[in-house]
Amino acid sequence: MKSIYTFKAFLFFLSIWVLSSCHDDITTTYTYRTMMPIYLEMSDVRARVFTTEPAKPLDNPGKIYIYENYLFINEPTKGIHILDNSNPSNPINLSFIPIEGNVDMAVNGSILYADNYVDLLAFDISKIGDIKLIKRVEDVFTHMYSHDTGEIITFQDTVISTENPTWQRESGWLMDARMSFSANFSAAAQSYGTGGSMARFTLSNQHLYAVDESTLRVFDVETPADPTFVKPIDLGWGIETIFPFQDKLFIGSNNGMHIYDASTPSSPTRMALYEHIQACDPVVVNEDYAFVTLRNGTSCWNGVNELQVIDIEDPYQPKLKKAYSMLNPHGLGLAGDFLYIAEGVHGLKSFNVSDVMSIDQNQLEFLTNLKSVDLIPGPNSLIVIGPDGVCQFDYSNPSKLKKLSCIKVSNPVNVY
Amino acid sequence: MFIETNVLKTKLLFFCFLIFSAQSLAQEKLYFNQTELGFLYGKGLEQWDGNREKRMDVSFLTFHGARISKNHVVGFSTGFDQYDEISVIPFALGWRGFMGKSGKPKIFAGFDLGGGSAVLEKKVKDEWNKSWYEGGFLVSPSLGISLPAKKGKSALSFSFAYKRQQISQFWGTFIQPGSQTIPNELLPPGFSSLTENNLLFRSFVFRTGIMF
Repeated sequence: MKSIYTFKAFLFFLSIWVLSSCHDDITTTYTYRTMMPIYLEMSDVRARVFTTEPAKPLDNPGKIYIYENYLFINEPTKGIHILDNSNPSNPINLSFIPIEGNVDMAVNGSILYADNYVDLLAFDISKIGDIKLIKRVEDVFTHMYSHDTGEIITFQDTVISTENPTWQRESGWLMDARMSFSANFSAAAQSYGTGGSMARFTLSNQHLYAVDESTLRVFDVETPADPTFVKPIDLGWGIETIFPFQDKLFIGSNNGMHIYDASTPSSPTRMALYEHIQACDPVVVNEDYAFVTLRNGTSCWNGVNELQVIDIEDPYQPKLKKAYSMLNPHGLGLAGDFLYIAEGVHGLKSFNVSDVMSIDQNQLEFLTNLKSVDLIPGPNSLIVIGPDGVCQFDYSNPSKLKKLSCIKVSNPVNVY
Repeated sequence: MFIETNVLKTKLLFFCFLIFSAQSLAQEKLYFNQTELGFLYGKGLEQWDGNREKRMDVSFLTFHGARISKNHVVGFSTGFDQYDEISVIPFALGWRGFMGKSGKPKIFAGFDLGGGSAVLEKKVKDEWNKSWYEGGFLVSPSLGISLPAKKGKSALSFSFAYKRQQISQFWGTFIQPGSQTIPNELLPPGFSSLTENNLLFRSFVFRTGIMF
């Protein structure tokens, strides 16, 4: 009899369960990458004291700057790593300066300039073991202000999971490459590299020039320890790189190359805009020619892949001299007559460009296993930035690069 | 979620193997089989107008077990269930209990607990997207009646069951080349977004078949 009761009990619970729910259900989870806006009070940011921290492993390196025997490597939005590079075969990680919102830097004498969200900071680096903040120029990169109250808006690349079907309209933005580019003051920005051809801060004639996506900002740094903001100059949209040469500034945008006369350094004026089809285009320049790489990429979807040699003898009338087809050229560097081109996933090429009409016939090397996005021809080594980290090569023999070292990094730049 | 179900599948397969091994060693009398074919009936997902469409699809079950006492059998079941466009292969551990005299019609109850696999569903992948299904938790209590054949030990069976099956549907977009990856635990590597639909199918099942 006992089993009958068990059976009845079972039936009872079964029927409750069955009748309680008898239709299909769906729950949907949306997980996506987005640029989350983060609001910060500049007064809080300014209240923080800078202290040099012990060396940290390199993560997602951004701009690289060579200063004496040191390498300054920016980690976008986090700060600056300092490495002793007296022996390029064995760079030593020394310390880290945490600077929130920092994406770029430049060194003038013994003064390091770095951006800190909307402010420009000047550090005294004459004693590398005792770096001090000596000046803060407030409210210069004003495009980050969300409104007038001193609150800034910045973006963080975040992964979010939600069950809300209207997730696209939530406070974040769906991450795509264009977003990443326009919000280039975030960690996701493609603002790597540099000191080389993809720089955004540059020094020339006692002035510091900083470009963001639409504006050139001029600082007077005649007294290096006392930078003063001079003025902003509107450039138009899509500005990517700045390269100073003699009294001129060559500014790469994604639809052309601007040439500015900086003979009055506090007030550069436009000489010409050399237009090309939409593409990503780092620039390097020598006396007579500008070398521009155009590539088809995420932020420059309509591009071609080529190296253009532009005759700038008359800077008011830049003329295309010759174009050479390339695979997917990113950054480039010029050292005397030798041009090095980071071909992205395809490798690294070197050319002798003394005869600009036959560059293709003067290819010296094509290192197909050296994936790279940018490079800097430094005094002691050629620094190559790619997925393997930050690598240095002996290029005393330009036609035969010799690997010296590679600094391993977590989250290296992606090559594509 | 997508890792858990794989572990579940592996565990189930291992159990099936153990029971099979035990069977082959045991005496013939020990073995019990229930094989049935029928249909699943349910009310589908809520439409935009609040209505639900009825869903009726094929269901096949084969249970293999060992008698642990006169009226109790434990074993495992597998088969085939169709839920609209989604084909599922269930794997479950199960119990059957009988009431009634030998040689007479018997009432029986059953309980199956396991997972359904969506291996029959194709993964669709192109340059930008990938979509796929993953199986999930399955539970199915049942009641039935068995009518013994005049000769031999086999019986005709009629079952009525409730079946609760979870299936996950995934649709992801890949990270576009050139974008920086960010380490995280929410997205599988290489994806920039992932939509996960957790479907819960609640069905009544009517099946008929044989037992021996």
